[in-house]
Amino acid sequence: MMKAFGPLSRRRFLTASASLSIGTIAAPYVAHADDPTLRITGWGGKWGEVMKAEIGPAFESEFKCKLQTDSAFPYLPKLQASSRSAPIYDVLHTNSNEQWAAAEMGLVEPKIDPKLVPNLADVYPYAISDKIVGVSIFTSAIGLGMRTDKGYSGVTSWKELWDAKYNGVRGGYVIPVNSLGQAFLMMCGTLFGKGQTDLDAAYTALEKLKPIKIVDFTGAMEKMLLSGEVGMCVIHDSGIYRYDGQNQPTDFVSPSEGVLSLEQVLTITPGSKMKELANAYVNYMLRPEVQKRLAETVWYSPANKKVKLDAKYDAKLLTTPEKVSKLIQVDWKWYNERKDEIDQRVNRIFRA
Amino acid sequence: MQTTASSSLGAAQQTASVRAPGPARPYGRYIYLGINIAILVFLLAPIAIVVVFALNPTPFIQFPPVGVSLRWFEKFFASRDFMHALWFSLEVAVLTTVSATILGASAALALARGNLPGTRLIVATMLSPLMLPAILTGLALFQTYVLIDVGRPTWGLVAGHTLVTLPYVVRTTLAVLHNFDTRLEEAAQNLGASPLRTFFEVTLPLIKPGVLAGAIFAFIVSFDQFPVSLFLVSPGNETLPVTLFNYLKFDLDGTIGAASVVSIVLAFVVVIGLDRTVGLRSYVKL
Repeated sequence: MMKAFGPLSRRRFLTASASLSIGTIAAPYVAHADDPTLRITGWGGKWGEVMKAEIGPAFESEFKCKLQTDSAFPYLPKLQASSRSAPIYDVLHTNSNEQWAAAEMGLVEPKIDPKLVPNLADVYPYAISDKIVGVSIFTSAIGLGMRTDKGYSGVTSWKELWDAKYNGVRGGYVIPVNSLGQAFLMMCGTLFGKGQTDLDAAYTALEKLKPIKIVDFTGAMEKMLLSGEVGMCVIHDSGIYRYDGQNQPTDFVSPSEGVLSLEQVLTITPGSKMKELANAYVNYMLRPEVQKRLAETVWYSPANKKVKLDAKYDAKLLTTPEKVSKLIQVDWKWYNERKDEIDQRVNRIFRA
Repeated sequence: MQTTASSSLGAAQQTASVRAPGPARPYGRYIYLGINIAILVFLLAPIAIVVVFALNPTPFIQFPPVGVSLRWFEKFFASRDFMHALWFSLEVAVLTTVSATILGASAALALARGNLPGTRLIVATMLSPLMLPAILTGLALFQTYVLIDVGRPTWGLVAGHTLVTLPYVVRTTLAVLHNFDTRLEEAAQNLGASPLRTFFEVTLPLIKPGVLAGAIFAFIVSFDQFPVSLFLVSPGNETLPVTLFNYLKFDLDGTIGAASVVSIVLAFVVVIGLDRTVGLRSYVKL
């Protein structure tokens, strides 16, 4: 007859307790050991906080995966340096100018398959236009930011930025490193020349814009506007609206000639081994409830037409076809082909 | 017979011997002090600006400050991202200091004593990371790790930091070895000490100033290292400088100043701690 388990000695009790403790600690890791990992890029700031706290965990739970987010710039050189068959990212989230550069290098797929991302059917046309690689999940509007306590009134046009009364308080960007600055340069060609590609007109306009204070990060421009160092500047709407409720004497102006779009774009890398999950992620980020949460956190205009924002966001963001029609999309493919030449020229224009 | 010159000289000496000595005019000393103060102010003024920014309650840089507030320090210490980055930076800096010190001191000893062929070339190679832009070093290491398919592990980051801090340890240790009297080692060995015992009881205590100076440099350079870390940090394991850089792309408020003040205080604590434990005064001269 087989012996039953013997009496519980102290040694057996301690061994069993240690095993149970180790098992308890290791259980989550064991349970998720086989969970696939989707490697994406993502912004920091409030976007990163909401993604980490809510959006990301919900995606992980629904799709039984791990989301690994790289928020350390620069993304494109790292993707470029990684192997094409084993890219460092599965999904690249960045602005449109970088996405075009990535597409030209074959680092990202130029289009998203609507059969694999059904929510593409509900986005505004700009989100999947021929000016976009992948899909734009949000956009900001680039226009003019101004102080409301300096007596500036009746600002309706881009051309007012050139008014001599803003000498000394005018703000712009280091064009070679900033998307808003690059988009603004193309706008100068439209305002004073034959169109976005009229670089001669753009350069002449930039010369006349001096004196101007230039910064590399949009965050720095926001602070200069808040401190009063700048009274009128090129800025995107979310850089003004995110201070809503803080009683700041700043406002955003949508110029009559139109606002430039600053798109938040997602693309999938061709060498990704997680294509199904990557497409699921893109589709997830286009869900109305996800779009609403992020839009109301960072004041981005959602790409999904079905999103219903709360009243105060709806009033200011681009949430109707009429408002969206004011968006001017930049031809980034054209710009990137000439970037070196443009950078050299603008560096000469704004040399200290 | 006295000549005119000698009589004049004698008269001058007589005059000098009876003239009472006047007060010294230390103009040279004041000028020297003034130059040193100007240099110190030039070096420390940016730190003062950072402290002002960190204590200013407004969410943007403003001078003169409108008040004193600790809100940015609260935000810094309450931020999980910043706290993780701070501890991770410390962890990497300590590991880097240990590895750079052991490798650098060993290399310096081998170079000084080993009679190796091409010593100068080897020394130049070991010091070359100081001459290369660190961002290229970071990118090259990143590509290497990708090629050997190891991802971006913490040991890879420590290796990158060790690469750019090793020259400091090598250089400072070589400096003390240059003046080292090898007869002391010979005497120890003649008296029966083994090579290992000679190294730990004779050589190491005498080269400690150079090794320690190099170790301090290695710690500070690693803690503040940015360009190499930019490519080698992995998601969720970012060093403090990288986290600060990413933060200021989206938010330029006093939290940056608070983080900087904490880094400065940390550097002070390290140096003061070393002075209290090991004693740095006698190691000021190399």
